[in-house]
Amino acid sequence: MITTSSPPTGTTTAPPPPTSEGIHLEGVTKAFRSGGEVVQAVAGVDLSIAPGEVVAVLGPNGAGKTTTLDMVLGLTEPTSGRITSFGAAPRRAVHEGRVSAVLQTGGLLRDLTARETVRYIASTFPDHEPVEEVLQRAGLADKADRLVSKLSGGEQQRLRFALALLPDPDLLVLDEPTAGMDVAARREFWRTMHEDATNGRTVLFATHYLEEADHFADRIVMMAGGRVVADGTTEQIRARASGRTVSADVRRGDVDAAVERLRGLTGTATVTANGERVTAIGEDSDALARTLLVELGGTNLEVTTASLDAAFVAITGEESR
Amino acid sequence: MNPTLIGLELKRYCRDYVGLFFIAVLPAFMYVVFGAAQTFGKADIGRGNVSLYVMISMAVYGAVTATVSVGGSAAVERMQGWGRQLGLTPLRDVSYVGTKAVLAMVIACIPIALIYAIGLATGAKGDTWVWFATAGITLFAACLFSLYGLIFGLALKSESAVGAASGSLVVFAFLGNIFIPLSGLMLTIAKFTPLYGIVSLARYPLTEGYSVDMAGELTHEAMWVPLVNVGVWTLILGLLTIHLVRRGRDRQ
Repeated sequence: MITTSSPPTGTTTAPPPPTSEGIHLEGVTKAFRSGGEVVQAVAGVDLSIAPGEVVAVLGPNGAGKTTTLDMVLGLTEPTSGRITSFGAAPRRAVHEGRVSAVLQTGGLLRDLTARETVRYIASTFPDHEPVEEVLQRAGLADKADRLVSKLSGGEQQRLRFALALLPDPDLLVLDEPTAGMDVAARREFWRTMHEDATNGRTVLFATHYLEEADHFADRIVMMAGGRVVADGTTEQIRARASGRTVSADVRRGDVDAAVERLRGLTGTATVTANGERVTAIGEDSDALARTLLVELGGTNLEVTTASLDAAFVAITGEESR
Repeated sequence: MNPTLIGLELKRYCRDYVGLFFIAVLPAFMYVVFGAAQTFGKADIGRGNVSLYVMISMAVYGAVTATVSVGGSAAVERMQGWGRQLGLTPLRDVSYVGTKAVLAMVIACIPIALIYAIGLATGAKGDTWVWFATAGITLFAACLFSLYGLIFGLALKSESAVGAASGSLVVFAFLGNIFIPLSGLMLTIAKFTPLYGIVSLARYPLTEGYSVDMAGELTHEAMWVPLVNVGVWTLILGLLTIHLVRRGRDRQ
């Protein structure tokens, strides 16, 4: 603690210590025992999220997204490592209402109405936003008296969103909030989110829709195989994908040498091999193509513009191997 | 205790008409058929008549069915994701269990009140204190059995758990000397089954331990027999619950 150096009456202009605001993960791992096997769901994650940031956690199924978010929410304990949430243990931040979440599908009582569900959860908080206001903001005012079992998937998701708004949280965690929704429902859900959640609130959401990450987040954290494989602003991530994908067949014995050679070229982001096919993503597609054809004797050359999708697959696919 | 939670939980159960039928209406109906409508109903037994004896039995069955269904559905809904939702609130586990316990008590009162009211109107007779004592023991016994529902819920993890728990209760009710008076070997077996102890204890203020079997023979049983039965089964249910809760926690 730094207490002795600060003047007793002075108003400090220095920013607060970095760990007292936002979310910090240090060397966090989580292993499950499943049958006789130990599954390493999260294999070492370091991550800091500043207040006000809107962060998307992007990754394929089994990347460790849900487990990581569960630990941030204090629903499970990390096997090793440390998490601080607004300067406290995750559970405490949740109990104080500073952190709340929209969980993946499941977890509503089907025989309560929407309003009763909100009243139920509201009654557990000493202070909360008014029930009617929260229903209004989640766009459920006209469906409040309907039983949960009679609500559509999208409406149930908005009900979970209403529950998350109750404590007026500083951080809102959304775990694949639009999974299983059709395109229209997804758009409608994000429209509601935009209107309400973004003003000054920190938002952390997991998704495997690139489009959602791109439209909604300021920053994208890509996960694969339980690790963070890329972390940057959406612009930085997109820039990483601005290169082209060049692929060609080489003789089987030359594959490893070819991968090495291509990795050595400047501006090459990733190189992967699948059987005889070598695929490289990089800024200078001409140089990649020339090397493959002339130097390495490649055949069946193909050059494509790398989409965000392709970069995603390349980054996550390689790292999880 | 949180009155909003208790109120809303009660509302949920009152919406479940099918459940309420099995909890309250069916045992009441069985009392009318096997107790009130029978000619032997007016025969004296201990501090009351046979109608009162059948009434207590059916009230035990109804009350136990009620608490088993509360316990079972609590376990299932918690594991199907509602537990995660509650994990995001300041609600403590103790308050949650307390809410469900109050709920189980209130729901268990429904069949007891209904069957005792019908009994009063259709000629069940006994000392006044016997009515209250048997109702109290029934309520206490039913609370123990919420663990039975909890175990089925924790073990099966699906909506069918509540059905399986209530279904197996019917079997144990027959084996436990609740629906029909057993004798001989069946009665000996009955003494080891879970419902035997609590129903014998609930009837004790009326019968003082005496019972008449199908052959019309009078037998007496010391109070320690049902007490040991209840003690052992409470221990078994308690240990099983702890084991299953721990197993569930490891899997998280």
